Amino acid sequence: MMTNFEKVDELGRREFISHAAKSCLGVGLMPMAGSYIHNSVKALTPGSRPAAARHVIYLNMAGAMSHLDTFGPKPNNPDIQGPVESIPTSADGVILSENLPKTAQHMHNASIIKTMVSSQGAHQQASYLMHTSYLQRGTIVHPTFGSWVAKLSGEINRTIPMNVKIGGGGGGAGFLEAKYGALPIGNPKQGLANSKMASYLDDTKFGSRIAMTEKLNENFATQYPQKQVRAYSDLYRDAVKLMKSDDLNAFDITQEPESMTELYGASNFGQGCLLARRLIENKVRYVEVTRGGWDTHNDNFNAVANNCLDIDKALSGLLLDLEMRGLLKETMVVLTSEFGRTPNINGRDGRDHWPYCFTAFLAGGGIKGGVSYGETDDRGRSPVEGKPIKPEDLNATIAYALGLPLNDVQYSPSGRPFTVAHNGEPLFDVLA
Amino acid sequence: MTGKVVTYLSLLFLSLSAFIVAEEPFRTYSTPQGKKFEGKAVGYEGQVFILSNRDGALFKVPFNALSSTDKTYLIQAVQQNRIPKGVPAVSPTPSHTSSSDSTGLKGVDFATQIAPILQERCNDCHKAPYEKNGRTMKPKAGLRFDTYELLMRGNDDGPVIAAGDIEGSILFEVITLPPDDDMIMPPKGDPLTSAQIDLFRRWILEGAAQKPTGKVVAAQTESEASSETEQKKGDGVEYRPEKKAKAAFRKGSFFAHVVVPLGVSPDEALAKAEGAKPKPGEPIDFDRHVLPILEERCNDCHHAPFDRSGRLVNPKASLRFDSFSEVMKGNLDGPVIVAKEPENSRLYTVMNLPEDNDLFMPPKGGPVDSEQIDIIKRWIVEGANPSKNSVSSTKGGIPASDEPVSFTDHILPLFESRCLECHGAPYVKNGRTIKPKAGLRLDEFEWVIKGNLDGTIVTAEDPEGSALHRVITLPDDDPEIMPPKGDPLSKDQITMIKRWILEGASERPAAVAADPNAAPKPKKTETASTDVDAQESFLDVLAKRASLPSKGQLIAAEKSGALVTQLAERYPLVRAEFSSFASDIDDSALAAFGNIKNNISHLDMSRTKISDQAMTSAGSFPNLTWLSVRNTKVTDNGLRSLSSLQHLRYLNLSGTQVTDKGANSLSSMKMLEEIYLWDSKVTEKGVAALRQALPEAKILF
Repeated sequence: MMTNFEKVDELGRREFISHAAKSCLGVGLMPMAGSYIHNSVKALTPGSRPAAARHVIYLNMAGAMSHLDTFGPKPNNPDIQGPVESIPTSADGVILSENLPKTAQHMHNASIIKTMVSSQGAHQQASYLMHTSYLQRGTIVHPTFGSWVAKLSGEINRTIPMNVKIGGGGGGAGFLEAKYGALPIGNPKQGLANSKMASYLDDTKFGSRIAMTEKLNENFATQYPQKQVRAYSDLYRDAVKLMKSDDLNAFDITQEPESMTELYGASNFGQGCLLARRLIENKVRYVEVTRGGWDTHNDNFNAVANNCLDIDKALSGLLLDLEMRGLLKETMVVLTSEFGRTPNINGRDGRDHWPYCFTAFLAGGGIKGGVSYGETDDRGRSPVEGKPIKPEDLNATIAYALGLPLNDVQYSPSGRPFTVAHNGEPLFDVLA
Repeated sequence: MTGKVVTYLSLLFLSLSAFIVAEEPFRTYSTPQGKKFEGKAVGYEGQVFILSNRDGALFKVPFNALSSTDKTYLIQAVQQNRIPKGVPAVSPTPSHTSSSDSTGLKGVDFATQIAPILQERCNDCHKAPYEKNGRTMKPKAGLRFDTYELLMRGNDDGPVIAAGDIEGSILFEVITLPPDDDMIMPPKGDPLTSAQIDLFRRWILEGAAQKPTGKVVAAQTESEASSETEQKKGDGVEYRPEKKAKAAFRKGSFFAHVVVPLGVSPDEALAKAEGAKPKPGEPIDFDRHVLPILEERCNDCHHAPFDRSGRLVNPKASLRFDSFSEVMKGNLDGPVIVAKEPENSRLYTVMNLPEDNDLFMPPKGGPVDSEQIDIIKRWIVEGANPSKNSVSSTKGGIPASDEPVSFTDHILPLFESRCLECHGAPYVKNGRTIKPKAGLRLDEFEWVIKGNLDGTIVTAEDPEGSALHRVITLPDDDPEIMPPKGDPLSKDQITMIKRWILEGASERPAAVAADPNAAPKPKKTETASTDVDAQESFLDVLAKRASLPSKGQLIAAEKSGALVTQLAERYPLVRAEFSSFASDIDDSALAAFGNIKNNISHLDMSRTKISDQAMTSAGSFPNLTWLSVRNTKVTDNGLRSLSSLQHLRYLNLSGTQVTDKGANSLSSMKMLEEIYLWDSKVTEKGVAALRQALPEAKILF
């Protein structure tokens, strides 16, 4: 488990294939399959009000980020803070740990929820809860939040998926249609694998192959004129179109100038954020970028400082880049983890799991700037001011900003009702 | 005097039978399997022969279990009248015992007098474990009566014989129970004869020893016991069989315990068992006063159907008297209770018929005690009401508006009729277990409250937040409406469920009925959301100026290659964006927006091949508030067309060819809030000038 989380931002080839197969074979890669042809005026705006945000970039700190050493420091308390100092930010009265100096310059565009709580203290279960708003169970796989967003918010482009996950596993659509599941990108620098026409094929050869496929499928398609069958042939047709279009360049960060790599940092996470921004530009609804390496049971302070070099650069770069391009207004950037870490420093200079209190950072679209919501006790152990915000409340907050109908019920195949954020309540204190 | 006569007669009978029936000799019988045993045939009953061994103990041998030689022998013996028909009443005992018994000179001998009775009547069940069809059959109740030691040992609950104490001897208690008592022993066949019972009585009183002790207890014959009655009859007094008393157990006896059903307090159970009598003037309570009478006198026949060795035993005449609702239900002939009219209530009238009437009830055990009949009569006269605290009079229907809703009486019957087909307990059909749909069971209160894995379906006092209430109040044509089959629930039924939730959704009815029409408690989220919406109101103002676009208009606009979507459901304003294949889009695309000019509030033309010409079109969309031409070839010339836009708040010109001159042309647009000029040809100087002209706007450069 631990090794999994340390390597969490790399996706093995095998893993990639299995995820991609789920996403693509389930009519996933090209969500326009179907919609492009016979569903053009779908109810893309299920909300009753114009959405404040249209895109989400969710930065998942897998392994559980130490909230005390990042977004929820307790100043003047070396007992629990160790060597970490607090610094002021661009927002009055909001402080961050000294590990995030660049991010501090963007706090006027961001809110921090200091009273996050989770009921789960083990990585997988807690991460599942954060991503789905539901507790993990043996009998059902719940859709991840990105899949909900893709399902409920509707498509805003016709060529690339609404839901992309960079690094890390999971992101599945659960019982929702597979096409809403996250398209997995293992390595942001490599972009979308296997999406270009093979070099040994020319248009004529390729065309005749497609024609052959169609001929072979003809009998089956006439015999079973069903939606699912049609969707497959649509998928092929659209895939060919996409393969030849420029839209796939969205996945290609090599087209970004060198200055961008400097801005975001050359780390996997930085490049992931850069890719996320490219995808948002190309109208992807939901991009999750995972950064592992936060399970700091040992040597917490060095590890966190190290991680923060990455995070701070990438996050501040992302916020700046989005703002300059005029995208921050409609793009919400969320950074959080599955739970926090113990205020008590253990014998190995590390911090252990602490689901009773952690932080979430929200910025950009739909988010009030310069808000620090709630307060914790003087040791950062548990919320004392403000509501405790459960994972489903956080998801409800994001969903609300996206204009998603929080009470829209989707039924699993067994007929059970589910909603985008379980029964979470949006936290209006951080919503613009 | 009579006693002597009987003794004499029995002696005579014995000697006579000895004359008539030639006694069989002892011989060795064998089975086809080769098993051999010795015995003397003393009688037969149907296909079963009764044999006696040398000790005088009787045992039964099925005719078919014997070898063919033995069969032939026995047939001949019967034909020659050597074997009497029937089971010998008393085990043939050596004549000396018989005489000593009659003279009463000697105590009861276990081996010759008690053991044979046990052997004949008890040992079918209470004997050594044996194999049958591969299963070990153990003695019932763990009691074995096949030897003296085992008899005296009793079972795990203790001994069944207390020497010298017939009242403390369970064995004696069970053989002296009334014949219709559940616990009477032997459970099959006739009860022991009074002579046999008397033998037990004497044997126990004499010390229950294996060998006769010196102590001798006088015999009490049947004639002695019944002489009084006989005499009365003889005196010509009308004969009336004694009302057979309900088995009255000695206090503290093993059988005297009161069964306390689960969920009933012991006091209540005891009161019920003792048949709590209503105080004078106290209204009759069905559960406390009437039901015990029915249970005592009627439920043997008018019970709930039950399964007896694979057969369903239905109540007689389809009448059940085990609960209020069943009593009131009556049968196909109509109700048996008519409130306030005892004379029309069959339950009451049949008890008052002459006893020789065929319809007299109860048919067994004598008439109902007149006091009890009076209780029933009073109950009917008082209105035949259900017990105060248990069952509502509107059970199964809709409660009156001032009556709190009862889960058991109102909600559950509704569930039973409309929901349990799918949401009942799991059952097996064609070998498959059919589980309740959605994992949701509604057949018991606990299940209803539990909900399913997705959470609860009932939130007390919050009907709107209760899935149960939500799914039944959906529009008829909604696919999720419950019940999915048949008509939706009636208004009254929905109100009833709503009230039940409002009253706290508890198993017991609430103290006060809730008002289903009371305004729901305001929710925090609702007030907060209006605040948020208020900030968006400038869009709403614009929205009023446009009419809802038709589906056809939107489809036509999408011919442009753009995605055209309403900002919200049934919202007049739309967003048009060229998000896919943007690089194929040129100026001609905007022509498709002609029909929805007033509707477009957001226009995203970034990364397309448009030129300044497209900006002219954009300038003609009066309600445009948001425009992005990021990364296009748009120049200063294009910006001029925008000056007519009164509501433009967001303008993204990053990555365009716009220069300081173009930026300057924006200075008059006071509505602008955000201007993005990064990566354009605008210089710092131009930005500074623009910032001066539009101090409120956020200008990113």
